[in-house]
Amino acid sequence: MVRSIALRVVNSLLVLLASSILIFALVSLAGDPLAELRQQDPPVSPSVIAAEEHRLGLDLPLPERYLRWIAGVLRGDFGQSVSPSLDIAAELGGRVQVTLRLVVLAMFVAIVLAVGAGLVSGLRQNRWPDLSLTFGSFVLLSLPSFWMAVLLKQGGIWINQTTGYRVFYTVGFESVPPVTGFWSHSLDLAGHLILPTIVLVLVHLAAWTRYQRAATIRALQADHVKYAILRGLPRGQVMRSHVIRPSLIPLITIVGLEMPGLFSGAIITETVFQWNGMGALLLDALRRSDVNVVLGWLMVSASAVVGFNLLTDILYRVIDPRMRRADHV
Amino acid sequence: MSEPIAPAGLKPGLGPGPAAGPASASAWAVARHRFLRDPVALISLTVVSAMVLAAVCGGPLWIYSHTTITPDLSQPPSAVHPFGTDTLGHDMLALVLRGLRQSLSIAFMVALPATLLGVVGGIVAGFRGGLVDNLIMRLVDLILTIPSMALASFLGSRLRGVGISTFTLSMVLAALLWTSMARLVRGVSLSIRQELYVDAAILMGASQPRIMVRHVLPNVLDQVIVSVTLLVGTAVLSESGLSFLGFGIRPPDTSLGLLVSNAKDSAMTRPWTFYFPGLAIIVFVLAINFLGESLRRALNPHRVTNDYLDKRRRRSRRRSTGSARTSRAGGQSGRAVPAPPGEPVPTDDLVPADEPLLEIERLGVEFPAERVQAVDDLSLRLAPGEVVALVGESGSGKTMTVLAAVGLLPVGAQLSGQVRFRGRSLTDLDYDQWRAIRGSQISIILQDPMTSLNPVLTVFRHFEETLRALSGHRVADAEVRRRAVELMEAVGITRAPDRLYQYPHELSGGMRQRIVIALAIVPRPQLIIADEPTTALDVTVQARVLDSLEAARASVGAAMIFITHDLALVAGLVDRVLVMKDGRLVEAAPVDDLFARPRHPYTQTLLARVPRLRRGPDSGSPPVWAQAGSEAEAPSGGPGVAASPPPTASARLDQEAGHD
Repeated sequence: MVRSIALRVVNSLLVLLASSILIFALVSLAGDPLAELRQQDPPVSPSVIAAEEHRLGLDLPLPERYLRWIAGVLRGDFGQSVSPSLDIAAELGGRVQVTLRLVVLAMFVAIVLAVGAGLVSGLRQNRWPDLSLTFGSFVLLSLPSFWMAVLLKQGGIWINQTTGYRVFYTVGFESVPPVTGFWSHSLDLAGHLILPTIVLVLVHLAAWTRYQRAATIRALQADHVKYAILRGLPRGQVMRSHVIRPSLIPLITIVGLEMPGLFSGAIITETVFQWNGMGALLLDALRRSDVNVVLGWLMVSASAVVGFNLLTDILYRVIDPRMRRADHV
Repeated sequence: MSEPIAPAGLKPGLGPGPAAGPASASAWAVARHRFLRDPVALISLTVVSAMVLAAVCGGPLWIYSHTTITPDLSQPPSAVHPFGTDTLGHDMLALVLRGLRQSLSIAFMVALPATLLGVVGGIVAGFRGGLVDNLIMRLVDLILTIPSMALASFLGSRLRGVGISTFTLSMVLAALLWTSMARLVRGVSLSIRQELYVDAAILMGASQPRIMVRHVLPNVLDQVIVSVTLLVGTAVLSESGLSFLGFGIRPPDTSLGLLVSNAKDSAMTRPWTFYFPGLAIIVFVLAINFLGESLRRALNPHRVTNDYLDKRRRRSRRRSTGSARTSRAGGQSGRAVPAPPGEPVPTDDLVPADEPLLEIERLGVEFPAERVQAVDDLSLRLAPGEVVALVGESGSGKTMTVLAAVGLLPVGAQLSGQVRFRGRSLTDLDYDQWRAIRGSQISIILQDPMTSLNPVLTVFRHFEETLRALSGHRVADAEVRRRAVELMEAVGITRAPDRLYQYPHELSGGMRQRIVIALAIVPRPQLIIADEPTTALDVTVQARVLDSLEAARASVGAAMIFITHDLALVAGLVDRVLVMKDGRLVEAAPVDDLFARPRHPYTQTLLARVPRLRRGPDSGSPPVWAQAGSEAEAPSGGPGVAASPPPTASARLDQEAGHD
């Protein structure tokens, strides 16, 4: 078990290394970050451009640039930003918390709801709870996340205006200026989380519900369910130990694989709700052609994704005894 | 992990596997027929076609162009402007038509290269395997570690310099979206690669590209078609998301995402600017997702799935009236083989009628949907402690008979006739009433020990569950342990205390079936039903597991119905043999009589097969218990033993524990 987990960790690090190369190559080859500077009118003097190239390390060959960059990243130095005052590591560190708070909360809520809905759907196959949940899932799958986000935000604003109270927070991840005191601050953060979390949950709920439904139906067909009934076990126990428990295992893998999707959804959700999270950082960096911020951003999200996949992988081994056997061999 | 992930996460619906796909022309015709009879399919197809048509022709035909600025600013929908106008006076219908056109053309331009890349990559990876497979799949994994929205935004923003066109945007999205298709196709190709006909084609010297095109492609085609629809939906959503963020289509051109983005602050004040473009996306994606689902249903129809826990099971089974009619009608359906002329249908009346343990009377099991009469007018009686064999080939109705007796028929089966256990009718019990019978007075052993035990529970937990269900309250762990070890040792499991905490997959097939046997005698049942308990096992352990079964049965003195297709197995084991064919009982006789004087031609055929089997090249393997009957017709070639052997010596079990 320990050995296999160690292997998985090494494997994850290799994946991360490979994705750092891919990210660096893509970003470096996709365009010249100084293009705007070069095209300015009146022309910027070549010495300024050369100095800027040197400051950003653009005058070196690509492999060397990569090595310098990755060595820096390992020390927590993501290089220079286009705007000299920006400390990329500190910025990423602060914002990743904001975004992870949203992503992780949304993920847990979505898992709980998807498991519940998927079980109901699978156990009441082709009857009205299943049919309505299935139709609902299809509608949810077709809703663009940004449209849903805008609708919820505007709906929140409308409710606030109609009632005259601030029922929903619709802007930012915390009040400005920040509320003091631990409990009031936490409450404030939680309040700001409500609408964006709902959006992100709805985006992923449908697919996961469908998945859980299929897993439940598969679990019901298993011979050991029939055998458990024939052994005279109570219905509730057959349901719990022989249908529901085995049916939960496949979802873990799917959730792990969908982590990048959650990040993508978070970018859109944060944009709509004007959060100062990872999403806004990326979009600002893109508008400013701030290559090192983009690189850092992609690296942080790739690490989060790989780390999360590792976690689900280990969890999978802990939960499914059949996976543990692979370790003995 | 090669789980194919379809776009939009719909993969779980994508059908059971490659084998189910239609690969022949007639199968496609059947699928088309099914598709055309599905109202959802027709509606979604109509909606998708109408929207594509509107996107293509709507713009030029509509009086306003998307660039026309009318004097009507921010008008709500009216006869002149059915979708209203925006703040600059653009006609919203013209904008939505233009946006739809852009979004759909990008979606199709994404779907085409992504599908090509995915199918080629997937087939090559799955077919070639090895290094090629590894390289392609690692690339897929890498792309999947990066949030696609971030990467697409980045590439979109970088391509701004060269003037983002719909073409470049499509290529960017295609480069991100081919991965799901590749995973799906690879999974299917991988399993097709194992098929014999592919091997044959390779041996005959067909070139690899030729095999991929001729043999692999047709088999993945159905799943690819379904995935393409989902891919188009995903592409529409991705493009509009990108345009919403400002990294897709830019003004003065427009797309649906951009229109929603423009209207994001006026969703409440000028709802028409927000809802019409949004609804265009939603309706199209919804329609294409339903289209994909209908295609999947048409290409890979679901089989009826069994839910043995369904509360409605009992109601659907109430068909005791008109039973005789049903079975007779079934008998005429051409399936049943007539009994030999002049002979009455044998009813099993050899047991004195006064105190039968189990009494099945005129049992019929019919599947009306498939027009199959699985069991037809079958009657049998079983005395306490009696051991009978139910013999017949696969599909003869043996298993259906006993499943009917224990109330666990598959969905769609209709039951007629009577089943009585110790004088009590079993035909209309609910789940809890059944629990007083199943698992306490009747124990069942299923055919495949690989699947009977729950893979995520230890052996200990199986015993614990059974003991708790039986006693109705929690049983102390020490007590479970004691009972379990005692029972496991009784069925010849060595090192029982160690095995107790193992999971089923850590045990051999023979070991698992012994555990099932041990579980079966926990309640000291009066009847054990063993449904081909050794068929799934290795020949070398079959005999020893049978020993264990007989010893276990004898230890509790239960009656037993032993189902098998192999007459040779039952000779030394049972008192009577019932022979079934095509759902009917064709012969019932004490075992010696049956071996000596088989009356029905089918029984004679079965018996004739026995010696041949036993003289096979494998006759050196451990003998099955062929009891030589007293008469000359009995199988004489077998190295049989004369009577039920006593529980085997532990030495032999040790030997088995060592290597199975």
